[in-house]
Amino acid sequence: MGYISRFGWIARTRWLGLARLAICAALAALPCGAQETSERARAFHDLQSIVDAQVLRVAVTRFDLPAFHVRRPDGTLAGAEIDMAEQIGRALGVKVEFIDDADSFDAVVDLVATDRSDIGLSKLSQTYRRLHRVRFSEPYIRLRHALLFNRSVIGQDAERRSPAEVLQGYSGRIGVIGGSAYVDFAKTNFPAASVVEARTWDDVIASLIAGKIDAIYRDEFEIRRIVKNNPALNVKFGTAAITDQEALLSIAICDTCSKLQEFINYHVERTKHNWTLKALLATEQGK
Amino acid sequence: MTEMNSSSRAAAGFSLKALSQSVNRPSITLAAILVALVLSAMRPPFLQYLRPVGDFYIALLKICVLPFLLSTIPLAVRSAMTNGSAGGTLRSLVVWLVITLASVASASVMVTSMIFSFASVDERTIANIGVLVGQSSDSMDVEFAIDSQRTSGNFVIGETGIFSVIPTNVFAALAANDSVRVLCFALIFGVGMVMTERESGYSIFGALRHVQAVCITIFEWFSLLVPIGIVALIAPQVALLGANAFTVLALFAYAFVGTSLLLLSVAILISAWSLGVPFGAVFTALLKPMMLGASTRNTLVCVPIALEALKDDLKVKRELCDLFIPLGFATVRFGTILYFIVATLFIGTLMGRSFSVPDLGMLAVFSTVASFATLGLNGIAALSPLAVVLRPFGLPYEIAVPLMIIVDPIAELFRVMLNVTINCMVSTGASGRDTTQTIATSS
Repeated sequence: MGYISRFGWIARTRWLGLARLAICAALAALPCGAQETSERARAFHDLQSIVDAQVLRVAVTRFDLPAFHVRRPDGTLAGAEIDMAEQIGRALGVKVEFIDDADSFDAVVDLVATDRSDIGLSKLSQTYRRLHRVRFSEPYIRLRHALLFNRSVIGQDAERRSPAEVLQGYSGRIGVIGGSAYVDFAKTNFPAASVVEARTWDDVIASLIAGKIDAIYRDEFEIRRIVKNNPALNVKFGTAAITDQEALLSIAICDTCSKLQEFINYHVERTKHNWTLKALLATEQGK
Repeated sequence: MTEMNSSSRAAAGFSLKALSQSVNRPSITLAAILVALVLSAMRPPFLQYLRPVGDFYIALLKICVLPFLLSTIPLAVRSAMTNGSAGGTLRSLVVWLVITLASVASASVMVTSMIFSFASVDERTIANIGVLVGQSSDSMDVEFAIDSQRTSGNFVIGETGIFSVIPTNVFAALAANDSVRVLCFALIFGVGMVMTERESGYSIFGALRHVQAVCITIFEWFSLLVPIGIVALIAPQVALLGANAFTVLALFAYAFVGTSLLLLSVAILISAWSLGVPFGAVFTALLKPMMLGASTRNTLVCVPIALEALKDDLKVKRELCDLFIPLGFATVRFGTILYFIVATLFIGTLMGRSFSVPDLGMLAVFSTVASFATLGLNGIAALSPLAVVLRPFGLPYEIAVPLMIIVDPIAELFRVMLNVTINCMVSTGASGRDTTQTIATSS
């Protein structure tokens, strides 16, 4: 009995072991579920997967951002952001593929958030909303927020406040590019103002000149570039810098790419001295 | 032996004075101005080397300004306090001063607004002015913080107006060449000296008179160089105004220079009328301080030469001249009143703003008040009270500054000439002629 029992126990143990092995083999052999593959791929979408794929996919806007990236007549891209993407590609030892069909700044973030690109580069400002979806590198340049305003309208203040005081509590119509971070910034920083969104920056400027809006809002580079390229506007329109609000222009990085973020931060730290407002305004593409 | 020494000193003094008068004849002064204007138009390569010569000349003139003021003001105070008719003369001075301030402001507003109402600024000129503003400004017009607690530096009020005249530390004021505070100190100290002289019978007024005579002698030495100074200072200054800038800002320049010339002519005419002498005689006498002011762009260095012109050439009563000319030159800035008015109307025209009659009245008052706020300020800083004039009319100070900086090389010459000439007019009107002396009507 005891013998049988002993053999019975051995037999049961052997069967259990075999069953375990079979399950393990089955699990190991499972190239099965597509869902599991996807999860695994996502888990490993980082620097190594990019190196393995030998390509860094970079999302940029469809429209030009002079001095940052512009399309040459021959169709190739040029500009400081393009140079930076290529430097990162070289450092990784991979080729760079630009995906340039984003029709807004938020669309660039979308491309990165949905794994259709690895990074996004288009004068992207960090915002709380965007940080829910992607990672950001350390800023490669910090630009003060700025306004171009109609001098007559701002000067005709009923309470005879200075232009700085009027702009501080601005309650008129303020123009921004739709789908840009400045929609959020305008709502937060000028809660009493009516935020008017336009499709492109040129449309925003045209609305100001036509008197449809009284101020336009973006970073110091873009505001100074307007009066630099069209100095006649200096008479009717004034420039204002917001000293406690900065656009932290950073590279959007896929949400799982922590190692890539570290790699890019290292590159940004090494090269950010090249990024100055003066240098950007002086570039041929900044004109 | 002593008689011989004193007679030779007198002869030397006479010859120096005669030489100074000969060198500073109106014909030579006008010729020097003409040479300066021709050089500024031709812009020869050596023009830049004239600037250090001019700076050296101004430095020489400044040597004795403060000792001269420190000796002249107490002497003038004493003269006014011991003279029985001092009260009446001072009342007359106040009346003349108030009427002149009101007249200058009103006339400036009327004439300038008429000029601007006939002239219009086309889009091309506005575009060119925008280019000038863009070239001269490499920063943002306004800076502010969304968080108001972080806003700083935008509303800093400097030590201007009444605080800039209180001599809390006269030695610091002397060391800093702060002539307004020194004048205020000299005035208060002069009153104190007269009071103590009455009580104790002791004074140092004799010594002060000697200091004053020494300063005048030194000024006479340097006045031999006036023609050189005019050429060396005016030519590089006028050349600073580029041809393009002048074309663009021609409307401002025409209005300012035209109104300045009108005010200068009227001031000389009133002086001639109040002294009962021909226009030419007053023009000849005042040409020297006017041109010294235009070339040095410094009103205070003209005090000795203006006193000489008024007392010696035009025979104006000495007491009030000695007191008012240094104080008036330092504190009453008629040229600045006109400058602020023209600048406001010009910026208004650029921005398409029209001015009603009450607006023009307010402009005259604001400009007059703001001119006193420039006390203690020089150069570009003296433009800052213009903001007080522009803001009530909703006009941007930020755009005015670069434009005024561009046009200032010319405007400054006329501002100083106006300050000198109209203050001299107030002095002649309030004092009248010293009937014990006769005026030479030809030079």
